[in-house]
Amino acid sequence: MNYITPCLYAFGASLAFAIVFNIPRNKLLLSALGGMLGQLIYVVFQLVISNDVILYLLSTIAISLYAEVLARLTKSPTTIYLAVALIPLVPGGGIYYTMLYFINGEIDLGISTGIHTLLISGALAVGIIMVSSTVNLVRKVMLKSKTKIRKKFKYGKNT
Amino acid sequence: MTVTQLSHVAMEMGVILLSNGAETYRVEESMHRICIALGAKEAEIFVVPTTIIISVTLEGEVPLTRTRRIHSRKIDLTKVSEINHLSRHICYEPTNYKDLLADIRRIDTIPSYPYYLHVLAFAFISQMFTLFFGGSLMDSCVGFLIGIGIKLQMDIMSRFEANVFFTNIVGGLIASTVAVTAAGLGLSTNMNTIIIGSIMTLVPGLAITNSIRDIIAGDYLSGLAKGVEALLIGAAIAAGVAVPLSLLRPFWGG
Repeated sequence: MNYITPCLYAFGASLAFAIVFNIPRNKLLLSALGGMLGQLIYVVFQLVISNDVILYLLSTIAISLYAEVLARLTKSPTTIYLAVALIPLVPGGGIYYTMLYFINGEIDLGISTGIHTLLISGALAVGIIMVSSTVNLVRKVMLKSKTKIRKKFKYGKNT
Repeated sequence: MTVTQLSHVAMEMGVILLSNGAETYRVEESMHRICIALGAKEAEIFVVPTTIIISVTLEGEVPLTRTRRIHSRKIDLTKVSEINHLSRHICYEPTNYKDLLADIRRIDTIPSYPYYLHVLAFAFISQMFTLFFGGSLMDSCVGFLIGIGIKLQMDIMSRFEANVFFTNIVGGLIASTVAVTAAGLGLSTNMNTIIIGSIMTLVPGLAITNSIRDIIAGDYLSGLAKGVEALLIGAAIAAGVAVPLSLLRPFWGG
């Protein structure tokens, strides 16, 4: 139960965020499922990996893949799925505790928490960059090979 | 289609895309695609988050350049998605100027979700994230109230055209004031969770995503501008939360 409840909460929050972003009615559920997926990956891999920066990286890769695939399937912008699914992964707690340590005068703790938060944000960015660059590359390679085949076919017909 | 009509259509579509939260590179790509599909020989488009510049050349005509400044930006991804559909549609099927204008006007007036749903969504986000970060049911109800408060505050501030950072500072202020008060009255035991949960409503999720995607696409100018916006909003939230925490703590002892 400990593993399932955060996913459900993430789903609810993502659904509400999808409404705030005015996402089309028929894609609300799909985009909210992305938020749930990110949390699910986080919780599942938590059993194996203890470094949470890597956990965030894995979750981001999962949701970016989900967003890219769904965007191709439903022929809509990737942002619709990505922006909503990313929000439960944003380190809100890290930002808050960094600030709290600083105003309590615990500078060392504040700096270490702040750097940890920065690392997590970096992991989110790297995850998105890795997936969408790879997807773009694959798409371009596929387009090129398609036109090559078409050219071959044409030449074959002509001769 | 004359060069004036062509640039008008492309510009209107670009403005709708940019002012409703599309990435900069998507605006440039779609506008370019539209211009070429409608018969332009050359089309150069430059977009930053606040400005669109378009220069179109038709065969055997003088080039035409238009500029548009974007003053207000909001988030309505339905419109982005619809314009995206329309721009793809133009590439496959020829259309005329009147139909295109009618289509654009229809998309521009698509209603967003009703207001009460937006308020409820804010409240729900705040409640869900309070539970998500380990709060109890009582904490989440305080979060629910804060969510409503933050949404109402944001709307009032945007009516007076306050800037984003001030709006977020006040949002953080409301969140932490209510949470500290609730903790002081004994309604909840962990105000940290309530504050974290309710400031998640202010997180600039779309700005973060768009800035990363713009940077990947090679649009460093817009990507950096959006990234700085997201960072400053984060700092504004932290600053807003910090004030009541440090001022009210001695009184409530939380």
